[in-house]
Amino acid sequence: MAVVEEVSGGRGLDITRGAKAALLVLAVGITCRLLGAQFDWLVAWPEALTVPMTDWVGAVVGWFLSVFKPVARAFSYLISFPMEWVGAVLRYSPWPLTVGLVTALGWLIGGARMAALGFFGLSFVVISGYWTEGMNTLALVAVSVPLAAIMGMAIGIAAFEFPRFKGAVNALLDIMQTVPTFAYLTPLIVLFGFGPVVGLIASAIYAAPPMARNVLLGLERVEEDIREAAVMSGGTRRQQLFLIELPAAGQQIMVGFNQCLMAALSMVIIAAVIGGFKDIGWEVLLTMRKAQFGPAFLAGTVIVVFAVVIDRMSAALAEPREPQSKRVALGIFAIGAGVALWSVFAGWSPNGVAWLDGWAEAVDAGVGTFTANNGATLDAVKNTSMFYGLLPLRIGLADAVLPFTWGFQWTAMHSLMFFAASAAIGGLLAWRDHLTAGVVVVIAALLLEIGIAQAPWPLMLVGAAALGWVASGWKLVRLVVILLGLILISGLWERALLSLYLSGASVAACAFVGGVLGFLSAMSTRVWTVVRPICDMLQTIPLFVFLIPVLMFFQIGEFSAFLAICMYAVVPMIRYTRQGLISTPEEMIEAATASGAGKWQTMFEVRAPYAAPTILLGLNQTILYAFAMLVIAALIGTTGLGQSIYLALGQADVGLGVTAGAAMAILALVADRLVQGFAEERRKALGL
Amino acid sequence: MTDKNSTAPAIAVEGLWQVFGEHAEKALRTAREAATNPEDFHAVAEDLMARGLIPAVRDANFEVKAGELFVIMGLSGSGKSTLIRCISRLIEPTAGSVRIDGEDILKANEKRLIDLRRNKLGMVFQHFGLFPHMTVTDNVAFPLKMQGAGKAERRKRAHEVLELVGLNGREDAYPRNLSGGQRQRVGIARSLAVNPDIWFLDEPFSALDPLIRRQLQDEFLNIQATLQKSIVFITHDIQEALKLADRIAIMRDGEVVQIGTPEDIVLRPVNDYVREFTRDVPKGRHARVESVMLDKTPDSMPDDPKLKVGMRLDIALERCMDLYEPVPVWDDAGNMVGAVNPAELAAALHVDDDTGGAA
Repeated sequence: MAVVEEVSGGRGLDITRGAKAALLVLAVGITCRLLGAQFDWLVAWPEALTVPMTDWVGAVVGWFLSVFKPVARAFSYLISFPMEWVGAVLRYSPWPLTVGLVTALGWLIGGARMAALGFFGLSFVVISGYWTEGMNTLALVAVSVPLAAIMGMAIGIAAFEFPRFKGAVNALLDIMQTVPTFAYLTPLIVLFGFGPVVGLIASAIYAAPPMARNVLLGLERVEEDIREAAVMSGGTRRQQLFLIELPAAGQQIMVGFNQCLMAALSMVIIAAVIGGFKDIGWEVLLTMRKAQFGPAFLAGTVIVVFAVVIDRMSAALAEPREPQSKRVALGIFAIGAGVALWSVFAGWSPNGVAWLDGWAEAVDAGVGTFTANNGATLDAVKNTSMFYGLLPLRIGLADAVLPFTWGFQWTAMHSLMFFAASAAIGGLLAWRDHLTAGVVVVIAALLLEIGIAQAPWPLMLVGAAALGWVASGWKLVRLVVILLGLILISGLWERALLSLYLSGASVAACAFVGGVLGFLSAMSTRVWTVVRPICDMLQTIPLFVFLIPVLMFFQIGEFSAFLAICMYAVVPMIRYTRQGLISTPEEMIEAATASGAGKWQTMFEVRAPYAAPTILLGLNQTILYAFAMLVIAALIGTTGLGQSIYLALGQADVGLGVTAGAAMAILALVADRLVQGFAEERRKALGL
Repeated sequence: MTDKNSTAPAIAVEGLWQVFGEHAEKALRTAREAATNPEDFHAVAEDLMARGLIPAVRDANFEVKAGELFVIMGLSGSGKSTLIRCISRLIEPTAGSVRIDGEDILKANEKRLIDLRRNKLGMVFQHFGLFPHMTVTDNVAFPLKMQGAGKAERRKRAHEVLELVGLNGREDAYPRNLSGGQRQRVGIARSLAVNPDIWFLDEPFSALDPLIRRQLQDEFLNIQATLQKSIVFITHDIQEALKLADRIAIMRDGEVVQIGTPEDIVLRPVNDYVREFTRDVPKGRHARVESVMLDKTPDSMPDDPKLKVGMRLDIALERCMDLYEPVPVWDDAGNMVGAVNPAELAAALHVDDDTGGAA
């Protein structure tokens, strides 16, 4: 809600749009707080008015699925063959051959650097002892990526060729990407049955949208002159498209292919929770469940190595580059083949050499010792954050402040004092012409006293609608109210609030930490040289792997989930903040300098306002990332929608899986539209 | 073309409208019906704009003769780029007709249009429009490939046109390895690959720096001197227009305000807008003595500074500095063809110094 203040605060003495909205929300909030005790329906949506949406959706989707089931099973049967073949080839090829091949490929793509990356990356997999599992994962990726790429290519081209469908296609892509990954899996299991094919299909579905988007973007960005030159050369539409426009969009399409690969890898690993296939994701999950952190860490590292190798190599494809000598590549491959031949005679082990088993145990023992020795500190960190941060946010100060933790019991008197203090601060702000900010402070205090998970529904609904009104207008208000209303009457509201609370807390933490890091990176290149590789790394790692380190130190629980979400979601905030701050046009900086502004003045008076739309987009990404991770974090203990989706997966409960997934997507969508609205408003205000 | 009279226009544009906006065709029809005089395109355009449509080209009428270099000049937003795209049918005009060698190409179907483009039309673009994934040779040979020419033939022809534009030796380079001037040479070579009759050039030299621009203009004139294409050339640079054109059409707000030879434009601007353009142009350089010859030759002419018909005005004036009576004008064969009043020579040269000088 701080956004309201930033956008509309201090515009003048008149009551601005933001102030009006904030006052309305405050009025609703106070009414609910005062009358909530007498009228239950003001706090919790009355049970009588909920509809069994979950059952209905279950019935409809279930029927729908049963119709398509035979087709799906046939498809699943067909696709299992190429999957088997690719798997067999990868598994039974002696690993020196595969290592040689990948190294040679790396050489062709990016010379010595990529060759070294391929060689050391795959060699690590060999000595980790997870070669077979790794190859199984790779086989899934190798089959799902072509599927996804073809699908994405077709969707992208169709959206470009028939602009009438573009809106619909974009909406579909939005849905495909905001519906949490776990939620896909439940209906897919019903359709395709348990087994690796589900992971394959799920990853193909998940990986197609980035491809489609980039194909569309690439085609749209082909210069008008190039397009017209193709027309004037007398090409037919098909010739124009395939001989000129698609190749001219090649780099953007390769960017899409890179994202497609990464999405597929990420999803293949997530899909391992279904089990039934001895791949590397399953290995992580299994060891994690058994609290064998060493092997889990080792297997997780193997995933990261795969991710880095695949990412960097495919990203290099999107860069303009000079061709490398083919002879060297052949030489590398020949060496690999030679070693492979020798290794077969020398007794080749299909599972790699597993030199690192001892190392895994050492890690395990090390972590054990560390947690044993520093248990008190770790617990203190965890408990402090829980009792003084997360818990009050969730259930409100009124319930969270107990003698056991805070040293005193919260009473009505405390509430009164708390409100009085916030009203004083708010009043002061209002008096200093920041009316909106003042009202927002009081609303925030109110919310903190009640707790997000226990917030009265009228307050949340009106609050979201008011944000929509300020951000964009009545159209957005309508969308927000309808979508949130759906969650409300479906009976998933309380779980949605729990999800909102955890993601909200993570986003707030990310916004702060990411904002500061982004700011520092913008101010000093030295900071950026440290932060940048970390960001690159965090963005490459599949979601799943984030769970391992937090589990190692903080065990299962909400705090671990919170940390995992933050680690994943902080990256866009850092990047966009820095990007926004450094991309101020040089002339504006020079004008500021010429006006006598110092470094910090330039930063706050010129750079920061100019960067606001970009930073808001970063916040938007952070929110979407947080929602995506929230569902994965359900594996290590969160409540709310994520947990429901995970449970539904275990019981193949399509109704619950789909509705909870949809509710999650709605939350993400609403947050996305609100922040985009503010970003758009800012861009317009700056004339960008 | 051979069966046609050589004076028949290569391109004839008649009543051409390009209106952007929703239901443009219908809006234009109703606007015309509503106008008291449908020929009054100002009123029609006003009406369209009042409805939120954008009339980018308003009732354009002109002809380009075979072998003529026709320049369309205007500032950005004047509709010149839209106009050339209508003529080449890169966009669909809202109303009117465009005849190329007598054939109304706005009525041509997709197949015929592709056929025309493969054989008869060539176009050069402001930002070159080179295909980034193809070598210079492949770029130049692309229209030939569309024609269905074999690989050997394509290479041979590409080599020929590349030689014509002075780019041999760079056949295997990619566009990204070339300088701006070299890129446009490739663009020119590509547009000439199929040896088209009609050559469209959309601000071909505007993206280049002044030295390269002048060099390419000169080479372009040389190429045109040998190939004698029928050309529509777009520019926003009056100097370029005057230097290259056989005739110039000046556009403003979608409307062709004046069509004439460079001399007409410089010496007889139809309104202040055109005059403003040519204000800084050294008049004498673009007009010849014949343009100011008297209707009647006086009986006695005491002085003879030996003026020739094709002499530039500034040079002629230099010879008449102290003369006040009309003087004779001679042709190359030595026959007297008319007379010129020195005062009018001076007046023609300072045609707008009267307005400009007062300021």
